[in-house]
Amino acid sequence: MAIYSFWIFDKHCNCIFNREWTLVANSSSGTINSKQNEETAKLLYGMIFSLRSIALKLSKDSTGNDIRSISTGKYRIHTYCTASGLWFVLTTDFKQQSYSQVLQYIYSHIYVKYITHNLLSAFDLAEDESETRGQGTKKIANRNFITALESFLTPMVAQ
Amino acid sequence: MVAGSRTQPSSEQDGMSEQERLQHQLQIFQDSLPKVNQLAYQMLLNEMVPLAVSVENRLAQTEHVNNSETIDSSGDKDTVSEMVRDLHISPKLDLPSHKLCLQLYEAEEERKKRILERLRSMGFQTGNKLSELLVFSNNPNLTFKDMDLLAIMKFICRDVWKQMFGKQIDNLKTNHRGTFYLFDYEYRPIQPFALDDQSTEKELEMVKPFLEIPVGVIKGVLSSLGYKQEQVVCLASYIDRPADRPKSTFPKGISFHVQVNK
Repeated sequence: MAIYSFWIFDKHCNCIFNREWTLVANSSSGTINSKQNEETAKLLYGMIFSLRSIALKLSKDSTGNDIRSISTGKYRIHTYCTASGLWFVLTTDFKQQSYSQVLQYIYSHIYVKYITHNLLSAFDLAEDESETRGQGTKKIANRNFITALESFLTPMVAQ
Repeated sequence: MVAGSRTQPSSEQDGMSEQERLQHQLQIFQDSLPKVNQLAYQMLLNEMVPLAVSVENRLAQTEHVNNSETIDSSGDKDTVSEMVRDLHISPKLDLPSHKLCLQLYEAEEERKKRILERLRSMGFQTGNKLSELLVFSNNPNLTFKDMDLLAIMKFICRDVWKQMFGKQIDNLKTNHRGTFYLFDYEYRPIQPFALDDQSTEKELEMVKPFLEIPVGVIKGVLSSLGYKQEQVVCLASYIDRPADRPKSTFPKGISFHVQVNK
């Protein structure tokens, strides 16, 4: 199994999409936007946030610095952060070094195409003040987005 | 002298090259025209719908304010707190587009009709000016002299659609008595649209206002070529896509029904 799960966080520190694969044999198994992953999402967000701030402090000059991947003994986390504050996070095994192109593709060809260009859906899932501080629970449920993402990521699940 | 050895081709080939030369000139002309980003243009085109709703909202607001001011013109805005509330650095923003679209979906019949009419007239203006632009371009495929209705419809299907939406109309049907059906199975601007859940009924209803723009464009082009707005009836509706076409993201194709009364 090459990829374990995929997450999107928005600029309000909310997890707006999560997808977890559980069985290697069946790549459509697992959960989408599960409530049970809320706590995991917070932990993952916190870990990336802390490491990002460390990376920023350790940068040589003021041009900024960002983390691309975090490796633990069991798995590897790949991150791709956009200037608009979206984080795309993928957890994988150690077989492949870099997933930055995959994440970039997901952002520019799937997220932008089906979420940003869709005038009927909200461009910012947090509607009022109460949801802007990590309290929101809204998720992306767009069928085009989910279908495109599934068909793109499925071949990588059992690589 | 080298050229002398080349001037052998027959007149037929010369005719071909004449057409090709014109095509080439058109290409050069079009390359020299100022360019805009297609994405920005398309989003602007789609943004016309929320704009129409927003304009209607503003009009209703000012009317309301005017009414209330005439009722109690004395006003009690003397208190400082109220004056402070009226002060703002930047003007208040309109609602986000998806909310305006939802408003349009939920609007009552009368208001909806006004908004759609506004939208159609925006499209009308666009179409009217667009044919000017296309007349100005030296396209060898275009001749506006003695153009009959069918030729004009073909012009809409090919050139207008190509210019506005980057593709041609997929199918054109006519009864040769002033009724035309224009089928576009993948109308570009609405392709990425989808609501969150599976409720396609509501989705189709919400996307419908976006079809008023091309309706206006068709009327505008016809009007600039001599068919008055009152003579032309144009309606847009959904049709199923033929089975042999590849699936695209939006579930339905669009059919434009144009009726020209003499």
